Amino acid sequence: MVSTPFQHDTATHCPYCAFQCGMRLSGPRESVVVDGDEAFPVNKGALCIKGWTSAAPLAHPERLLNPLVRNAAGDLVPATWDEALARVAEAFKSIRTDYGADAVGIFGGGSLTNEKSYLLGKFARVALGTANIDYNGRFCMSSAAAAGIRALGIDRGMPFPLEDIASAEVVLLAGSNVAETMPPIMQYFEAQRANGGVLVVSDPRRTATAAAADLHLRLTPGTDAVLANGLLHLLIRDDLIDHDYIQERTEGFERVRQIAATYWPERVERITGIPEAELLQTARLLGRANTAMILTGRGAEQQAQGVTNVLSFINLALALGKVGRPNSGFGCLTGQGNGQGGREHGQKADQLPGYRLIADPAARQHVAAVWDFPEEELPGPGKSAYELLDSLGPEGGIRSLLVLGSNVVVSAPHGNNIRERLESLDFLVVSDFFLSETALLADVVLPSAQWAEEEGTITNLEGRVIRRRRAFAPPEGVLTDLELLEQLAARLGRERWFTYASPEAVFDELRAASAGGAADYSGITYEKIEAGQGVFWPCPSVDHPGTPRLFAESFPTPSGRARFHPVLHRSPAEEPDEDFPLYLTTGRVLAQYQSGTQTRRIGELEDMASEPLAEINPTTAERYGLADGDMLTLETRRGAARVRALVTENIRPDTVFAPFHWPNEQSANLLTNPALDPTSRMPEFKVCAVRIVKD
Amino acid sequence: MLKKERLVVIGNGMAGARFVEELVARGGAEMYDIVMFGEEPHGNYNRILLSSVLAGCHKPEDTLINELSWYEEQGIKLYSGVKAGWIDRMGASVYAAGGISESYDKLVIATGSTPFLPPIGNMYDEDGFMRDGVFSFRTLEDCQAMIDHAASARRVVVVGGGLLGLEAARGLLERGLEVHIAHLGDYLMNSQLDAPAGAMLKQTLEGLGLNIHLDKLAESITPPFAGAPVGGLKFKDGEELECDMIVVAAGVRPNIDLAKQSGLHVQHGIVVQDDLSCRNDRNVYAIGECAQHRGKLFGLVAPLWEQARILAEQLSGENPEASFRGVRVSTKLKVLGVDLAVMGDKDLQTDEDEQVHYSEPARGVYKKLIIRNGRLAGAILLGDGLTTPGVLQAFDRSELLPDNRASLLFPGTGGAAQIDVADLPETAQVCNCNGVTKGRIIQACQDGNGTLEAVCKATRAGTGCGACKPQVKAIVTFEANQAASQAATVISVIGGKKVAFPAIADEAPARTPENVAVGRS
Repeated sequence: MVSTPFQHDTATHCPYCAFQCGMRLSGPRESVVVDGDEAFPVNKGALCIKGWTSAAPLAHPERLLNPLVRNAAGDLVPATWDEALARVAEAFKSIRTDYGADAVGIFGGGSLTNEKSYLLGKFARVALGTANIDYNGRFCMSSAAAAGIRALGIDRGMPFPLEDIASAEVVLLAGSNVAETMPPIMQYFEAQRANGGVLVVSDPRRTATAAAADLHLRLTPGTDAVLANGLLHLLIRDDLIDHDYIQERTEGFERVRQIAATYWPERVERITGIPEAELLQTARLLGRANTAMILTGRGAEQQAQGVTNVLSFINLALALGKVGRPNSGFGCLTGQGNGQGGREHGQKADQLPGYRLIADPAARQHVAAVWDFPEEELPGPGKSAYELLDSLGPEGGIRSLLVLGSNVVVSAPHGNNIRERLESLDFLVVSDFFLSETALLADVVLPSAQWAEEEGTITNLEGRVIRRRRAFAPPEGVLTDLELLEQLAARLGRERWFTYASPEAVFDELRAASAGGAADYSGITYEKIEAGQGVFWPCPSVDHPGTPRLFAESFPTPSGRARFHPVLHRSPAEEPDEDFPLYLTTGRVLAQYQSGTQTRRIGELEDMASEPLAEINPTTAERYGLADGDMLTLETRRGAARVRALVTENIRPDTVFAPFHWPNEQSANLLTNPALDPTSRMPEFKVCAVRIVKD
Repeated sequence: MLKKERLVVIGNGMAGARFVEELVARGGAEMYDIVMFGEEPHGNYNRILLSSVLAGCHKPEDTLINELSWYEEQGIKLYSGVKAGWIDRMGASVYAAGGISESYDKLVIATGSTPFLPPIGNMYDEDGFMRDGVFSFRTLEDCQAMIDHAASARRVVVVGGGLLGLEAARGLLERGLEVHIAHLGDYLMNSQLDAPAGAMLKQTLEGLGLNIHLDKLAESITPPFAGAPVGGLKFKDGEELECDMIVVAAGVRPNIDLAKQSGLHVQHGIVVQDDLSCRNDRNVYAIGECAQHRGKLFGLVAPLWEQARILAEQLSGENPEASFRGVRVSTKLKVLGVDLAVMGDKDLQTDEDEQVHYSEPARGVYKKLIIRNGRLAGAILLGDGLTTPGVLQAFDRSELLPDNRASLLFPGTGGAAQIDVADLPETAQVCNCNGVTKGRIIQACQDGNGTLEAVCKATRAGTGCGACKPQVKAIVTFEANQAASQAATVISVIGGKKVAFPAIADEAPARTPENVAVGRS
């Protein structure tokens, strides 16, 4: 690939969350000036502190500028690319020979561009022949994705542009703290409220988002589906459902209506802890509004019943007759930068590009033809993210792992187990631009280019495909992930399938591979993206303008109708008891991102959030004799974490909140429960039982 | 493949049908051939919602949980509208009229209960049927009959001032009747409330338009006046209430005759062990209102469903050791316009028990906690619905209560009050997105940035979500005022709150609540 020259004033997008703020970069790499891009219609110039400081890692002193290889003494020492890649190729080959192709696994990330996600999926199937590829997006969007496909026939997080929020009379935000996780989105909720709209937030915590809402439903952790079913009960009772819409555009309501009969308000109040009056108020707000939206976040989704939780909210939106109507509908707010695109093009264990299923013969034939690769040699579905990680080592059978753009030691649940599994590998290779906690365990570490050093596309939370542009060539000795995969494929004897002139050439192949699939990118070109501030998929031909709004006429299901799904809530996999008497819920804070590999290295962000603060209600703090700022240990059946107390009324007395951005003894994921959703395989990050041990 | 066992369930109500649903959800249809007897002629409906149906809030069809088609889809043989007549335990079979006989390997009795009808003279007609215009309140049919009759009735007397009676009364009030409640006790809901709470509830209900008569023992129904089926109700004390409709809601009695006849061990209810099987027959189980567990009968839905779940876990093999240890019982009065939750003990039971109460008759608020060993043993909460969920959950989970009991009765909202930027310390973070403190904003102002835009650009405050812009603006304005005047500080009251600010020269912008007292997000 040819590297593009240094460019001044590059219009690109923030490397962090799915909001993908437009930003302009200028100046040299060592002192980049970041500016919000006022021309980009999503953030309209706004940035949060993470965006303003996003260029700091580019010239950070700890940045990896050459490969590292573990020597005989067990130390990671600098090596040439030739040495490092030879070692990786040898290890993969010998493990494949000894244990079969599935013994090599790949773990990707939701921050990778579409081109990288796509090529990583192809690399797994064609270069390695392994079924075992999955990614950290499984921990992020899988529940919403599975629910969207089942109920609406398609998984595009938001099936409408963000601007529609401003015109919604009522918005119910279920389990999402966007004021911290994607702050610039708040301008849309501010606009909505300035237009006289009402914002309702359900969350066990009084988050910054909940505090900005007109009504905060402070639910008990793990009771989201009870809330949704309870609201549906009230809507049915007060005849605020849309009978014509249900009749004409949906199927399966009857059973859902019957189940709603068992969620009467007194019962729902008792389980959720939300006063009846607030339930009724919410139901009436939603039911009487001409335009209403229901949006879910990780709070409802990161549970062992994440899929049914989301389905219960979709049921609500369908019963209200709002899905596919102007300034209305159901959406989920994607988390990671390319959380949307990253789940569409073959990085998932069960998928091929274009949101095709790898088990579907027609899908296999189509993709095999595009790849010019024998269909029968494509592997079948592999293990999902947590199961893949849990299978590492001699017992599970995955003996070698390539990790790209993920720091699983910090971000996966049940961290002690993950570390043990990684340590039991024959061979671990990690591509990253810092020596992350996962990279520290690797046999080979490969330095990768950063976001401002690569070309590609990202699909934001609206389904808008946008361009990531290169401001600087990568430093000497650093490859882009695309270059890495090409070179590694060549060493595995698969050069023929991995030779591209540019990232755009990878994208063009992705377009062909996605053609006819649910996420059809075939009509999207770099040129069109640049001309129009992004293109919304599906876009099935070059003269197609893209699809900002879905479902206006019909749903992409076999019958063309949306499907209701009966949902009976279950208790969380682990509930408080005598030994572990409190709920633990985890999440993010504004000044850090994910596992913190980048953000914990940025001074300004560290000044704002330098350590995990566990939110504890004053009543609970008093019982344990804790004062604000005291150190304490949180313990679950899986591990212990050291945190500082933040005593606040913002958390329920029965619940402790801990952010998960920190490693080692501060890691909240040492505590979390890897109980998985039966459909999406999403771990239960958002609820488990914990106890406080005072120092 | 193993031969399926035969499971017969007598009862298709709140307990029986729920049990079968829970069992089927655990793969029970693959393990058992399931046969059900349901006396009522339809699928299963949510009896809890009948007061809401009576009040006209719920359509009867919206109370259906399982239609007849559901049973078919699950492969369940349901005898709908058929009352099981005889259990032959030696032959392990259940018989019913019409030559029906079904053998079983396991039998679950969930026959529920029937209304208790006190001896009131003239209640039955010559053929022994309940007189026209007189109703009990148990089934959907009862409910429909009441609705039909109420359409042309004028004045009703509800016999019984317990939960069900009050709910029936409220429903009929919604239908435009003049409603009288005749209660035997000296205050309402005397089995759940204490006297002061009962008195306050009476006041609240009277406020809604109900007429309440205490210490009333119904003696006989008086003969009809012109054309009406009943003429009135006469009480033991001689008083008489003229009416054209009577609803008897004087409690329920468990249906235990069938079990008794078959020789199962029965006291007040069918005696079951912790695994819910009968004392003298391990293949027969009883759940719901007809079952007696550790000397207790249960009439509320939560314990019934708990029993249903536990038995399903057991019989599906999911958890063969699942057992019922009793539950903590709580309930809410489902009466529009009244917030009343009661749970556990209503009064002190031991010398060590602690009582916390709060009473505010003018607003109809009464809250009382009974605390034992630091945990909630009971509570009455009237007139303050927002307090209910927290107390209820503390009770359900038997949580250790906070030392400061008041925090349970008066939970904080957790919300930040309106904050005056003038009161904020300089270290306070104003812009959360960009971590900008008040001090930095003031510094930017003093550095010569005079407008909101300039300050935002200099500090990045307000460049994220933008929610803090009003506060930034207030600080900028405040700083401008500071600079504009060196005059003495005056005190004024803005938004009900005393704030200090400098005297302003005439041309300076006026301070308004909008630019000073802004909420902190």
